[in-house]
Amino acid sequence: MNEKVRKIVVSGVMGAISIFLGASHLGFIPWFAGAALTIMHVPVIIGAVLEGPLVGAVIGLIFGLFSLLQGAIAPTGPADVWFVNPLISILPRLAIGPIAWLVYRIARPLKELPSLALSGIAGSLTNTILVLGALGLFRYLPWELIGTIAVVNGLPEAALSAILTTAVVAAWKGIQTRRRGSSV
Amino acid sequence: MRSVTWRLRRRLGGCCVAERSEFEFFAKLSIGQYIPTGSVVHRLDPRVKLILGLFLVIAAIMISSIVSALILTVAVILGLRLARVQLRLAFAPLKIMIIFLFILALIQLLTIPQLKTDATVVFQRGVLKITDRSIVSAILLMVRFVVIVLGLSLFSFSTSSSEVIHGIEHLLRPLQRIGFPAHELTLAAHISLHFFPILVGEAEQLMMAQAARGADFGYRKWNFLRKLRKMLPLLVPLFIVSLKHAQNMTRAMESRCYSGGAGRTHYVRLHAQPADYLGLFLGCGVISSAMVVNLLHVDGTVWGLLRELVM
Repeated sequence: MNEKVRKIVVSGVMGAISIFLGASHLGFIPWFAGAALTIMHVPVIIGAVLEGPLVGAVIGLIFGLFSLLQGAIAPTGPADVWFVNPLISILPRLAIGPIAWLVYRIARPLKELPSLALSGIAGSLTNTILVLGALGLFRYLPWELIGTIAVVNGLPEAALSAILTTAVVAAWKGIQTRRRGSSV
Repeated sequence: MRSVTWRLRRRLGGCCVAERSEFEFFAKLSIGQYIPTGSVVHRLDPRVKLILGLFLVIAAIMISSIVSALILTVAVILGLRLARVQLRLAFAPLKIMIIFLFILALIQLLTIPQLKTDATVVFQRGVLKITDRSIVSAILLMVRFVVIVLGLSLFSFSTSSSEVIHGIEHLLRPLQRIGFPAHELTLAAHISLHFFPILVGEAEQLMMAQAARGADFGYRKWNFLRKLRKMLPLLVPLFIVSLKHAQNMTRAMESRCYSGGAGRTHYVRLHAQPADYLGLFLGCGVISSAMVVNLLHVDGTVWGLLRELVM
């Protein structure tokens, strides 16, 4: 298959999943700490692991643009207000994909499944740390509160994204190997 | 065997009585919608609107004067009037935010004085200290959000999504000469937008399929683990189905000999009319005047004049 066309299509489709997760509220899981856990960044990680860092950055861009628009036009909760600022909603999201891909590339020679989980964790933590860091730099939130949120929300999010990334990528690669040679 | 009867009992016990509406996502979707009124603003070239929107957001973030923020607000509200959109719709998201904006402003009000010492103290009691600077920055924070929210609403009400994408592609085209993948990027965005309805359909089908197998998507219990166990059988197939769609789409594009952006012609071509240049000129004029006001530091003078008028 043509590498370039597949990359374009996968970034588009994964971007659509990210938008869908956000718009349908399927991507939010209620959590007792107040703010809901989100898995909207998982498509970014999966896209990066499957197709490389550039695709990850493009999906991150689509994700960021959507959260900017959602924050401004149709906020679902109070926290959406911050994401009106593109330096918070877009810039940190560009880094998720490349970092997840890098971790996956480094860890893959050891073992496939743990490296997928690791890249899920790394991508999710990138999102948490950079977004919360930007919130801190803009002084929207005091640093002590940011540390608490990073632990209370960031760690379960990382676990969730590790589970999802592993499940999806393993299933997808399994399908591809089973079908080898018989795709007419 | 025991687990089967248990599940059956659960099913008969009414846990799984889900209404049809639970599976319909379109009712719950909330993205800014396009309102076709055919006004002057709607007919403006999407490139002009994109440039002006970008300038507006940058200006709103950069300004530090209340007067210039008010200039921008008034300009955006005038734009909404020109677009013949109901103002109520544009203000709706602000209604949701307003309480939170107040809290944010309050945080600014109370934390800024500790950082800047050269401001005059307006109010002090114990550790509580409010200075004129903190009041200004709290008001600015709120007006800034109002400007950006109203501006983006105006943009999304008056520009359809394919217009936006054609506009972006046309704007980025000069960058293609230095190797920036403008065409590929906008194609990915195009695919995202047009794949979205397919994805919604797939998700609805998956939800119904899982409900037929006994999954309960009701939100009565606020149980984290239970919700998680419901989500995984929905999300993993959703990803796999989408990746299959992506594979098929790639094959379809290849069989039509698509091979990237080099040397492609376009079905939609944008041509700027004199009216578009006029719009661009006017919009840039308003935004740059706000920036000039910001540079001149007129806030103090205006404040003094207002006080004299009131006294």
